[in-house]
Amino acid sequence: MKLHLTIDGAENHIELLARAPDCRFRFGEGAESAAHVETPEPGVYSILMDGRSYDARVEESPGGLIVAIDGYRFEIEVHDPRRRARQPARHGDGGREVVAPMPGKVIRVLIAPGDAVTAGQGLVVVEAMKMQNELKAQRDGRVQSVGAREGATVAAGELLAILE
Amino acid sequence: MARMNADITNSSFLGFSYPCSSAAIFAFVLFSGGQAARALDGPVTIPCMFRKVLIANRGEIAVRVMRTLREMGISTVAVYSDADRTSLHVRMADEAERLGPSPSAESYLRIDRILDAARKHGAEAIHPGYGFLSENGDFAAACEASGIVFIGPSAESIRAMGSKTSARRVAIAAGTPVVPGTDRPVTLEDARQFGRAHGYPVLLKAVAGGGGKGMRRVDREGDLEPALRDAASEAERSFRNSEVYIEKLIERPRHIEIQLIGDRRGNMVHLGERECSIQRRHQKVVEECPSPLVDAHPEMRLEMGEAAIRAARAAGYYNAGTVEFLVDRDRRFYFLEMNTRLQVEHPVTELVTGLDLVRLQVEIAAGARLPFQQEEVAWRGAAIECRIYAEDPYNDFLPYPGKLTRLTRPMGPGVRLDGCVYDGWTVPMEYDPLLAKLAVWASTRGQTIDRMIRALREYDVGGIRTNIGFFRQILEDAEFAAGRLHTGFIEEFLARRTARAAPAEFQAVAALAAALYASASAERSEAPAAGVSPWLAAGRDGLLR
Repeated sequence: MKLHLTIDGAENHIELLARAPDCRFRFGEGAESAAHVETPEPGVYSILMDGRSYDARVEESPGGLIVAIDGYRFEIEVHDPRRRARQPARHGDGGREVVAPMPGKVIRVLIAPGDAVTAGQGLVVVEAMKMQNELKAQRDGRVQSVGAREGATVAAGELLAILE
Repeated sequence: MARMNADITNSSFLGFSYPCSSAAIFAFVLFSGGQAARALDGPVTIPCMFRKVLIANRGEIAVRVMRTLREMGISTVAVYSDADRTSLHVRMADEAERLGPSPSAESYLRIDRILDAARKHGAEAIHPGYGFLSENGDFAAACEASGIVFIGPSAESIRAMGSKTSARRVAIAAGTPVVPGTDRPVTLEDARQFGRAHGYPVLLKAVAGGGGKGMRRVDREGDLEPALRDAASEAERSFRNSEVYIEKLIERPRHIEIQLIGDRRGNMVHLGERECSIQRRHQKVVEECPSPLVDAHPEMRLEMGEAAIRAARAAGYYNAGTVEFLVDRDRRFYFLEMNTRLQVEHPVTELVTGLDLVRLQVEIAAGARLPFQQEEVAWRGAAIECRIYAEDPYNDFLPYPGKLTRLTRPMGPGVRLDGCVYDGWTVPMEYDPLLAKLAVWASTRGQTIDRMIRALREYDVGGIRTNIGFFRQILEDAEFAAGRLHTGFIEEFLARRTARAAPAEFQAVAALAAALYASASAERSEAPAAGVSPWLAAGRDGLLR
């Protein structure tokens, strides 16, 4: 199975040739490698490769997967050619989508659909742990729709509003 | 509550026996057994110890206080808000009482409900922890009026040291150095004289000010006139008051504080310093004892310790407290404020002195005499603490509440972890995001840094973001290792740090893990009923939204 990857913004690919625990794979243009893989806990991969031991921890985030190995952190998007990529584009959309930067509660919604906004204007205020965070428009535009409701609890990455 | 204040000679009240020697003997306090204790005390007097104490707090500090109470054989009463029903302090306590809904103002800040809970459960004393009502003089007074012992200083001391201006007056009267300033409006001529007397840079501040409005830094006398004009007109625009005062600007200050402990009979000692210069958003995140600066200049500990005791005595202080100082590049120190409670970072002092500060607090509140004198306090080795927060260091340190899906705690030699976290717990979004305090001890500062890095490598929290990885970068920093600390350290560190390149094979390993995870997820979503753990499903739903 061949998977296309985006690792910290760079395109790459990996081919899985044999499944865990006796895993064989080819990463990028490299040679075929062998690794012994166990999953002692959900999301934790104990990988023995070339005599070295790695503990890789995988977590889902709005932008894809985050893999941490001994304090190093990789942001990885996995695109299975057999399936359509499902992640909505959160990056590089020129600030059309306004998303919650952290889990929290919507304290104030400062805009309504149809409003004209200017770059830097406050749109929505999200609060968590006594810290208020005002989300500002990244550019001039008009409000297409507002998903945020005052008092609602939101997850990190949740869509709060869309600008035209 | 008369019995609480009565000294009972030799040992028991209603069957509860409280051996006096336990109060007096600590690992590194240099006692020569019972004789020394007697020499200090005259005839041995034993306070009547509490049987039940209510902890008017939550989170890690409630857990930390309960641990000592349990060691002392004292029953514990927890209080909680709706958001904290399943929090560790509630589960750990012997008894628990609901205060109200989640907002602090309707729960942990409700003096009436806390006192009701104490009466209902028969608690004889209340430990306030830190934050919430711990520095509220009205709360201390209300406890005493209800016949419940407040484990802390008197309401009068809290009030005297509570506001910065009143504390500054107390410190000045006690001869403790404060940051030089006028505290009253100045003319250009006043400002010039001040600059000549105290040197530059100076800071002009609006008398009615706040938030940096009407504030100007001035580096030389020639700049004073335009700066004063600007500051005054900005102050006029912002506050309808053009008055400006002047203060010496301490550049790149270190934050070094002195821990004090005193009994109600006037005995007071200092337990040395803590350096808390590593701060973000004016909040301490790494603390250590000894301070690398004080360690290199040991006379500072004596001078700062005595200055701190003078200020505290002037406020009639007893129980545990901390006097905070700013220290400039010439090692001059200036009184900043006094915290009239146990500090978050007290574990580093406990690790190097071998004392249990909560135990001392409880004993002193029960009427005990301070069980040692200044010259019996000794400091051994070095301790560092990191405050582990639920926050995203890759996104401006914004809070990151949520459910923990994975937890591996650091263990092994010299590691102390004070926390309120367990696997499966949801970090509430209503309160401060402190999850745990990781403190380590070793015989030298260098070994302590190595040990902290090792412990941080063991520490894994899944499901939420934490600053664990960020601490590792700070602890590995050469400037930190050299002890060149100041309160702007993190800002400078963020500007100069370069991303460490991961070893080449790490990327292949990460890619493999991601690919295995994604293919396992894909299989699970094709056969959704079979063995999908709920948190994986929840995470995926979040992704699809």
